[in-house]
Amino acid sequence: MSDRIRRSVIYPLSALLLALAPVLAPISAQEGEGGGPPPEEGGEEAKTDDEKGAKYFAIVGGDVHTGTGAVLRGATVLARNGKIKEIGYDVFVPPEAEKVDATGLRVYPGLVALGATTRLSQGLGAAEGPELGEDEFEHPHDKPREIQWDGLLPVALAPESHVGGDDEHPELQAEEEGAEEEKSEIEDTFDPFNSFLVLALATGITTAQQSTAAVKLKRYEIDGVLLSDRNLASVTWGLANPIGIQSTRKKFAKAAEYLRELRAWRARNDKNEKEPSRRGVDTTALKVLSGEAQALFRASAREELLGIARFAQEHGFRPVIEGCDEGWTVADELGRAGATVILTPRGRSPKDERFVRPGGASIENAARLHAAGVQIAVRPESTSIDFVGTAGRDLIALPVEAGFAVRGGLSEQAALEAITIVPARVLGIAHRVGTLEPGKDCDAIVTDGDLLHYQTFVQYTVVDGKLVYDKEQEIYFAHIRPRPKKPEPAKEEAEAAGAEKAETPAEEGAEEPEKGAEAEDEDEAEEEAKDEKKDDSKDE
Amino acid sequence: MLSLFLSSLLLAPPPGGGDLVAIRVKRAETIASGPLEHALILVEDGKIVALGEDLPVERGIPVLDRPDWVVTPGLVNAHTRVAGERSPARLFEPQSRPTFDVDPRHEAWEELLELGITTVGFYPDGSGIPGQALVLRPHGETLAEMLVSDSAYLKIQLQASASSKKAVREAFAKVDEYLEKVAKEREKWEKDQEKKKKSSSKTSSKKEEEKKDDPKAEEKKEGALTPEDEKEEEKQDDKKSTDDKKGDVFVPPAPDEKVKPFLDLREKSLTAMMSIRKAADYLHLLDVLKKEKDVQFFLQFPLSDDGDLYEVATKIGEKGLTVVTVPEVTLQVNSLRERNIPAELVRAGAKLVLTPRFDTVRGHEDWRADVGRLVGQGLAREAALAAITLEAARALGQAEEIGSLEVGKRADLVFWSGDPLEPSSKVEAVMLGGEFVVGDVP
Repeated sequence: MSDRIRRSVIYPLSALLLALAPVLAPISAQEGEGGGPPPEEGGEEAKTDDEKGAKYFAIVGGDVHTGTGAVLRGATVLARNGKIKEIGYDVFVPPEAEKVDATGLRVYPGLVALGATTRLSQGLGAAEGPELGEDEFEHPHDKPREIQWDGLLPVALAPESHVGGDDEHPELQAEEEGAEEEKSEIEDTFDPFNSFLVLALATGITTAQQSTAAVKLKRYEIDGVLLSDRNLASVTWGLANPIGIQSTRKKFAKAAEYLRELRAWRARNDKNEKEPSRRGVDTTALKVLSGEAQALFRASAREELLGIARFAQEHGFRPVIEGCDEGWTVADELGRAGATVILTPRGRSPKDERFVRPGGASIENAARLHAAGVQIAVRPESTSIDFVGTAGRDLIALPVEAGFAVRGGLSEQAALEAITIVPARVLGIAHRVGTLEPGKDCDAIVTDGDLLHYQTFVQYTVVDGKLVYDKEQEIYFAHIRPRPKKPEPAKEEAEAAGAEKAETPAEEGAEEPEKGAEAEDEDEAEEEAKDEKKDDSKDE
Repeated sequence: MLSLFLSSLLLAPPPGGGDLVAIRVKRAETIASGPLEHALILVEDGKIVALGEDLPVERGIPVLDRPDWVVTPGLVNAHTRVAGERSPARLFEPQSRPTFDVDPRHEAWEELLELGITTVGFYPDGSGIPGQALVLRPHGETLAEMLVSDSAYLKIQLQASASSKKAVREAFAKVDEYLEKVAKEREKWEKDQEKKKKSSSKTSSKKEEEKKDDPKAEEKKEGALTPEDEKEEEKQDDKKSTDDKKGDVFVPPAPDEKVKPFLDLREKSLTAMMSIRKAADYLHLLDVLKKEKDVQFFLQFPLSDDGDLYEVATKIGEKGLTVVTVPEVTLQVNSLRERNIPAELVRAGAKLVLTPRFDTVRGHEDWRADVGRLVGQGLAREAALAAITLEAARALGQAEEIGSLEVGKRADLVFWSGDPLEPSSKVEAVMLGGEFVVGDVP
């Protein structure tokens, strides 16, 4: 599998250059001026930056998978004050910048986890008061969090709150509309030290959906963790609940009518005329139709998906569909509706044998949908995370889950996007995270192999231009397959080499080349692997 | 030098006479200035009047010679509810004091005294912001006899939760509201004063006009008072204006009793004890107090194996904050690595206060041994001793009076058969305010 992954990652050189054109532009300009060392202007600029107290962070020498399709081998990612300033070669790194040596390693954008357990941001012990759910142990797939938490809030068109009664009591809804939507309390409850957050960072997850909010998994600090709130609005659409579908249709129709009236009223600009009443207009539908939120459906059956696709096209919005097991059977329709789907590639559901038509889950689901123009986001079977009983199906396996989509034929690029930029778009934070691009937040992970491979470890995680996870320093991970030592004089090895040599520091220094030779055995395997990669790239 | 000076003092005739007593012991743990070998302490009128190594004692002063004993200041438990009940009810009663929870006749007090504990901080019951702590001496028949201070610190429980942060924020917002109100009243008052000045300086022909104005001004003022210079002028005026002369300064309206403690916090006349549970709470605490730079506070937290306070030890240390916690070595979260968080905090620069691990009489019995064990596992001995005496006294706002062996401080002394941190050592005698209350001492 790894061969296949490697080959599809490596792009033809020309395509690579094309993709890099915007990124390389500033660099080529620099080279035009004389190349080599950075021009003096750059130095001066850096100086003025220092006066402002700018903080630089650089990931040097890694193979940068930007997530936009480009792979820059041995490039440098430079961040200034938490935002990516430059990606490329010959980047001038200010001497005071904090550096991470990623030589021989790969750099990816930080992963974005959809529907993640609130443990990530609050730990276990935080459950206190109604603001913290105690639903960590429930299966998130069955009971979507938005609905669980927002029973009192107007966002969710959850069946329990909307089926039946609501249409008959428009006054109740009017009241609901008046109520201010409560802001996510994540900023007041975030625990930047909890060990589940460390687990998430170890997986490479730097942003997670926490209930209704998108949260930056910052470590050691609590400022600026909330990225977006309520970008998704749950909409009921299930075959098991035809009344729910009917109710949803009604609400959207009414909201659309209201919007039409509102637009007409605005166009007329008549001061004597009253503004159309919002009475009885569903807030969620209104938000979806006015583009404030994305409609989130949970559906897997072919008929449901077709219905959603048509419904979305009728009202002119792009649906987000979670589940979508039988999506491959209606891929074209979903593609035309501009859908984004949240898949679990390993998810299994049987075909309904009452029908002749194709159905059930397929490993090729993601690939077929992607080919039809559907955006793919991936989430694992369980979005919990824990230190015990990890069955490889929870958040820790997020990249592996995306790897299974590749197994079904999805391109590796699309698989990477499925756990980075696409979920970021779903959460409405694609302008901040999801890819490595200048101007975006410097959320990056450095891995010792292909991200989608199950044996790959995240070595470093960077959030907002700060190193928040270093595998070698973590009590939970340092001992598992330690990072190969760089050819520096290490004391233990020096002692092992011989007592007489270890006596003076000077001799230790002199030992260096020998040490390299000793370490060769350890590094051999890796180096071979690297050689292979190089060969591959040459072949292509 | 010091001892020379002290001995010269001693050689002089005893100043007050009366209940002067000298105690000679093997060692005195002064806390403030390290241990003194062959120490002599001179106590008069309940206070330490002299202290030194091998001081000569003037003839006539009774000397209690105990060459085996070690003396320390009386132990201080800054955070206890022993002999009181506990309930987790969430409260917002910053003005309340747990006076009704203290039972002076409870046997626990006597037992505490026998264990060498001479002062306790008795905290109010409940979570949230349950009130202010009392400082008590575990000796006396009534609360009045026991009570040292009724406002040791304001207990505020702060967690990484929106509700607890909101409670504190709102409390300070109410202080702002009150201050605004005061400012408005003051403005009004000043205006009235000016008005009066003008009207009083006017000729008597305009007095009629003044009469019309003044009643309004009076109504507005409500307790507002006139400055002195005006007084003299107005004395010559008609009698009516004498009603206004209730004083010569502006008296602001009294704050609500629930607002007052937070006003005191801002004015530094009250200290807050912030009860937290984990490292994140500390960051949220700083977040809440972002605008309240003047508020003085110290931290209190329990230690357990899921506690991660070591994560913020450096931050707490940098600020030189006082932390109240228990003598316990815990495990790093989800691991078997031992962390001596009290020692880490001290090393980082924090001031440590240790309280018994369990808030029962039995817990108090084990207290010294637990602290001793912590010293065995890396806590500095001086810090450990200070943590149960001087720093605890400081947390209670009593550091001027008790907590160390210094000239001028209250003679709350505990005499031990050996090293106080050694579990085998026993309390030989306890002196409270110059009087032996425990022990077989003539």
